Amino acid sequence: MFCTFILMGVGYLYGQNKQILYDFYEIPQSLMLNPGVKTSEKWHAGIPVLSGLSLQAGTSGVTVNDLFANDGIDFTTKVRERVLDAMTRRDDFSSTVQIELLNLGFRGRNRPDDYYSFGMYLENDVVVYWPKDLALLAFEGNGGNNIGRSFDLGDLSLRGEMASVFHFGINRKLSNVLTVGARAKLYSGVYQFQSIQNTGSFITTQGQNNIYVSSIVADMQLQTAGIEPVFDILDENESGEGKELTRLFSKRAFLGGNLGLGMDLGFSYNPDPQLTITGSMLDIGFMNNSKDVKNYTLRGNASTEGVTVFLPEDINNVDNDLWQELVDDIEESLPYEENESTYISLRPVKVYGSIRYDFGEGGESSFENCGCAVNKQGRRTEGFYRNSVGGQLFMIKRPREIQYALTGFYQRRFGRVLSLKGTYTIDKYSWTNVGLGLNLQAGSVNFYIMGDNLMSYRNIADSHYASLQFGINIISWNDN
Amino acid sequence: MKGFLGRLLLAFILIPLIFCSCTEEQDFNQFNDLQITPLVASSLIYLESDEATINAVGGLGNFYVQTINFDAFNEQFVSENLLEGTLFYEIDNTTSKQLAITIEFLDAANNVLDVESFDVQPNQPTTFMREVDYGPTGKNLNILRETSSIRVAASNLSDSTSISSDPEPKVILRTAAEFLFQLK
Repeated sequence: MFCTFILMGVGYLYGQNKQILYDFYEIPQSLMLNPGVKTSEKWHAGIPVLSGLSLQAGTSGVTVNDLFANDGIDFTTKVRERVLDAMTRRDDFSSTVQIELLNLGFRGRNRPDDYYSFGMYLENDVVVYWPKDLALLAFEGNGGNNIGRSFDLGDLSLRGEMASVFHFGINRKLSNVLTVGARAKLYSGVYQFQSIQNTGSFITTQGQNNIYVSSIVADMQLQTAGIEPVFDILDENESGEGKELTRLFSKRAFLGGNLGLGMDLGFSYNPDPQLTITGSMLDIGFMNNSKDVKNYTLRGNASTEGVTVFLPEDINNVDNDLWQELVDDIEESLPYEENESTYISLRPVKVYGSIRYDFGEGGESSFENCGCAVNKQGRRTEGFYRNSVGGQLFMIKRPREIQYALTGFYQRRFGRVLSLKGTYTIDKYSWTNVGLGLNLQAGSVNFYIMGDNLMSYRNIADSHYASLQFGINIISWNDN
Repeated sequence: MKGFLGRLLLAFILIPLIFCSCTEEQDFNQFNDLQITPLVASSLIYLESDEATINAVGGLGNFYVQTINFDAFNEQFVSENLLEGTLFYEIDNTTSKQLAITIEFLDAANNVLDVESFDVQPNQPTTFMREVDYGPTGKNLNILRETSSIRVAASNLSDSTSISSDPEPKVILRTAAEFLFQLK
């Protein structure tokens, strides 16, 4: 027998929390979420055919529909009531795009308990926290009712990067109850920016001498790598800028940009044939941003009550430029500076955990006739059970917090042909996130599709979160 | 085979359901209607003089005259985005002098665009306050837009010998502004 996995095409699309795909072990790509997931393949190969772009977009605050519904309400009023008055500094807008360009895997010839996988994918991840106080300052200013209000400059928090990820993972069955895995990652950065851990405040109050005193204390920084050349190309505004950008991005994506290292770890543990506990930690890594770096800082403190003249002390000061000197003094106390210092940026670490209970014996297992001689425990194999229920936990390190998501799921297998997984997820974006995943194994053709937050599809513009994943494979487990 | 076809049928029913989505009508042109109009407040000039300084200069004369280059008003951003403004004046006078304070708004050619004059009574028991509006309900906004410098003059209308009974007699001029901008 030979096991041939000919991947006609894999469009592998996912957001940051891929709760439907996680531990969906019938799908080879579940290895990317847990390098220690149980595997049954002898080898697999993936080549993208769907000019793939996947988008996961989330907003914990206002939705597109909240603002742009054609409801006849004044737009400025909607912004004020639904954004300025409603959103907090903990709300964020996030988006993750991942495109898998290559995914290959094979089982060790001499070590059939080992499954090796490697490949490359492109990832773009951006999260912007709602800068509440800065937005209020822009909308309302420091005057009027805001005299005495302290605006928190630390509300500015954002982070984004695009990187291609080259990875190699080993999945090893240590025993009938424990499978572990690890994946090494080499990141090739296209761009990166972050403005995190800002502190400071701006306040205007009744002055000690003059009517108002305005005070600012700031320790703010925006770090960028690879951004400035992009703007340079765009600023040139020539017809060939698209080609130039493509060439620049391609070069950086293939190890011509800033580099970083990382790893994934994971395991699957079966304390009982019907019980599976899994866990994984992904993207434990960093980027060393040393090329095309441009950082912007605003550090210092200043306070002003305007031009002040005290007589008789200033009676001989006939300088006409008192106002400009005041401005200069403020700029000196609160310098805006630029530098090109190398900086390290951490990858957004993600953690998954799950517990799954299988029940309902019967049906044909996905591990049946796999010819791989692994992960098979006599007649009582993993896929022998038609049903699974369980819970999953997802955590991701964001600049301001660790975001959590809790998922309950039910999975139903119809032999090797069809498997459905329904999920209900609670996170900061939605409390009504019902997802559905489908894996279809029609002969050698494997197709899967997963949709998230399905209830929001009634009005997608009103959704706080949406993601979609799908893929097509041609798979053969047997040697024939 | 029948079972397989059934499952396949089920799959192809479910797949379009996942893809199928609706959305209410959205009007993204509404963004053009967004109005961002912050009210920006800042102190401008603070002038303080003790009575001894006024006496030292002599009676019936300016004890302070200063022209301050002030391009903050006529910068392009202000000129293009200023909707209205209010200037605030506060004067305390605990000296024994009757004073005159004038604030002149000058354009780039030193032409006087506007004058605010204050007749300051001696030993004022309370703070004198004045608000001057510029814009639709007040003076011409172009006064602010074209102001390039401000000339502050304070003169003593009394003698140069009287002394207030206040332990620290002073005249204090406070000025501030609140400007309403149209950022969008």
